[in-house]
Amino acid sequence: MERDGHQEGEGQGVIIRNPPLEINPPADTLATSLSLLGNHMFPDQVARDDRATADTQEPGELPPSEVPAQEQHLDAEPVSNQENQLETEETDNAECQNNESTETANGGTKDDAADNDQNDSGEFVVTMLAKAKLEEQGIGVKGRSSPLLEAGTQESPALMSHRDEDVTADSWRQHRKHIFVLSEAGKPIYSRYGSEEALSSTMGVMMALVSFVQSGDNIIRSVYSEKHTVVFLQKGPLVLVCVSSSRQSEEQLRGELLYVYYQIISMLTQASISRIFEHKKNYDLRRLLAGSEKILDGLLNLVDSDPSFLLAAIHCLPLASSLRDSLSQILQKAITTNLVFSILIAKNQLLTIVQEKTVIEDTRLEPADVHLLLNLIGASSAFQAGEIWTPICLPLFNPDCYFYAYISYLDPPECTVCLLLLSTDKEAFYAVADCKRKIEEAMCAQNSLSLIAKAQSYSVSQVGVSDLRHFMYKPFDVPDNYRQLTQFTSPEMEAPYSSEEEKMRLLDLYRYMHSRIHSSSRPLKLIYHVAERETLLAWVTSKFELYTCFSPLVTKACAITAITKLLRWIKKEEDRLFIRYPPKYSTTPNPSKSSRGGKSDQQDSTDNGFLSLL
Amino acid sequence: MPEASKMKKPDVKLVLLGDMNVGKTSLLHRYTDRKFKDTVSTVGGAFFLKQWGPYNISIWDTAGREQFHGLGSMYCRGASAVILTYDVTNWQSLAELEERFLSLTDTASHDCIFAIVGNKVDLTDPKAQLSQDSSGVSEDQTEHEEERTEPQVLSSCPTPPASPASLSGITVHKQVAHEDAMALYGRILRYKGLEEKSSLPAERMCFETSAKTGYNVDALFETLFDLVLPSILRKRNENQQCPTIDLEECRGASSKRARFCC
Ligand SMILES: Nc1nc2c(ncn2[C@@H]2O[C@H](COP(=O)(O)OP(=O)(O)O)[C@@H](O)[C@H]2O)c(=O)[nH]1
Ligand SMILES: [Mg+2]
Repeated sequence: MERDGHQEGEGQGVIIRNPPLEINPPADTLATSLSLLGNHMFPDQVARDDRATADTQEPGELPPSEVPAQEQHLDAEPVSNQENQLETEETDNAECQNNESTETANGGTKDDAADNDQNDSGEFVVTMLAKAKLEEQGIGVKGRSSPLLEAGTQESPALMSHRDEDVTADSWRQHRKHIFVLSEAGKPIYSRYGSEEALSSTMGVMMALVSFVQSGDNIIRSVYSEKHTVVFLQKGPLVLVCVSSSRQSEEQLRGELLYVYYQIISMLTQASISRIFEHKKNYDLRRLLAGSEKILDGLLNLVDSDPSFLLAAIHCLPLASSLRDSLSQILQKAITTNLVFSILIAKNQLLTIVQEKTVIEDTRLEPADVHLLLNLIGASSAFQAGEIWTPICLPLFNPDCYFYAYISYLDPPECTVCLLLLSTDKEAFYAVADCKRKIEEAMCAQNSLSLIAKAQSYSVSQVGVSDLRHFMYKPFDVPDNYRQLTQFTSPEMEAPYSSEEEKMRLLDLYRYMHSRIHSSSRPLKLIYHVAERETLLAWVTSKFELYTCFSPLVTKACAITAITKLLRWIKKEEDRLFIRYPPKYSTTPNPSKSSRGGKSDQQDSTDNGFLSLL
Repeated sequence: MPEASKMKKPDVKLVLLGDMNVGKTSLLHRYTDRKFKDTVSTVGGAFFLKQWGPYNISIWDTAGREQFHGLGSMYCRGASAVILTYDVTNWQSLAELEERFLSLTDTASHDCIFAIVGNKVDLTDPKAQLSQDSSGVSEDQTEHEEERTEPQVLSSCPTPPASPASLSGITVHKQVAHEDAMALYGRILRYKGLEEKSSLPAERMCFETSAKTGYNVDALFETLFDLVLPSILRKRNENQQCPTIDLEECRGASSKRARFCC
């Protein structure tokens, strides 16, 4: 299996060599199909509003107090050079084309590794895609979809009906980011917009493309056109495709596809998906995912609007450490056999998490697994009075077995404080529900709910740095206990980023900075980026990753002082901003049972009973 | 003891089964909250405690998705009543009851009673639209108290609409006739090996409801509550001898017993 941690790009693009044209599927079908794909996928668009205007990043001089020796010197000046913005570092890898400069009539394939390998057949595919695009230019789609139209209104019931969208309509094409999931047999499994049925031919084309490239012993990874990036991810029997006009990097988009894959795994487990498709190649997985589309929809909205996914870190609610400790102790005391995680959430942010001892020694809880859990809670919140008991797999913890999640709100009818208890025992509902009563009781005695209600995220003004508008700070393993859970801290987005549009714009800027920092071809440690309406500085060291946003008038010297001050402030507030020492409890008489290695008694529950339905 | 700790001890267990989207969550929501609002597809199963007179009734609302079938028998374990729900506008949803859901009830209590409920009858039957006010159904209407006084047609089989002109204007084709549900009821009794004569009659156990208007919803739940009363009393009696309620009847280990005492 390929390795694909989402932050580390591997930087291969379309690598295609000499696939025999006559196989699977016939070329003329492919051609026809590709033009179909093109019609759907590559609307002609009016020039995109490039938000980044100028960007210089040069070796940096570090905030004096924190200079790790390996950092470079910052002596950049803002240069207004839009064309060159992606090429500012003196570059040795000229083959790393950037999107901007290669938007040529033939579709501008950006492809870090493709240059050497690309040959006739590769060009064929790309040309087909490009042709499809050209054919379409007469259609005249106006503007590009505003990201906030999609991410900002996720609650609106009107948008719940994305599934009914007319897939031939312009509005469908204009969505900023399409996500498709299909099986290797080309059967549609999920589409973010429009029904899978209506898109089955489009998905068929995608699969044709994938297997076409595969037939030449290659893997298709991405296709670039003028306005779109198409990213492919194959995981076992599933193929995930993202068609995005968001200008995100291929690595970021692939990371997002991976989240989609993990969410599917969290519902079905990897083992049962493999088994299902071993049994029946053209199984319609929608049978099993029916009703889960909203969970995937919700995930994609979160991915677009919540930087936790980009940073692969958890955002916890700032809380006085004494209060957090007392909550942890409450959770620590309310245990039962086979309980492995107790998680308390308020306002969709983590308050505290307590883990079973052997589990914590064995492994750490991956942020992605927590993100999936939080998304599940968000998606199941409609009928909040009940106590939910559902199987769930934590794909990074163990992709092949289920946990059983108990979900209950502690403050009905407001339903902002949520308790999540995970057990390895399918039958443990009543015992786990009993833990909730104990927790409720203890929280009542300590008046915890009203204290939690007062907790809130903080304003950047509390840092006391005038030009600083926003930041995201993600420490690495400092102190050692952070290793338990990767976290980041970030203030509320306030004016001028209070509207959904502006929030998304700032997030896009962060995504851009992130892609530069984590560029597979040329990773950077420090970027000073002067944009039109703000100045951003991103900095990664061995101790942390930091993204800051300043007013446009800030000087470099100011920014550096500000960051020094910010780091000092964070240090001071550390206990409140982060979960410092994730507590533990011990619930397993037989420790190996619940740990990652001990799959013995869980394996038989992996199929959760539905394999018999095949 | 603080309020939160006042344990309500469930006396009896009811389970809602049926394909997704037939309206199980909506029915429960209508009954407990007197509202009809947008639901999100249920994940796994959701447990509710309903106070009914001096009794505490636990109700499991299940997802109905194949994905969660592995837990179906767990949700049904020891149940005193199973509500098999279908959508009157969808024939397949009735067929699924027999094909997929009936076998999940094998873990139910030996004297479990079965109700078959055809929901969304507001779409096909003007009578079921009566309690709807003229403004149509708003997301959050709470003022449906009047529907409780509406004469409940408990045992009569609703006849097809005499006139297609319904209050909302549109009626959808009714794919499942009441007789079909009653026939299924007979087959369920046979599956369970029960005598038709000694069991509750189909006319009494087959309901047509609308979670949207509230039509027949209270009647459904209250009929069932009445019917499980003997079971409640028997359980309470048993518990005089044994002070803990064992909701996990199949598990022997006493340490595993849920402690539902204060
Ligand atoms: N017209 C009508 N729609 C209903 C009724 N009950 C539920 N629905 C709708 O059917 C869909 C599924 O309902 P839900 O309660 O989630 O079904 P469940 O999956 O069985 O829990 C929702 O869109 C409801 O609004 C009903 O009595 N009449
Ligand atoms: Mg439901």
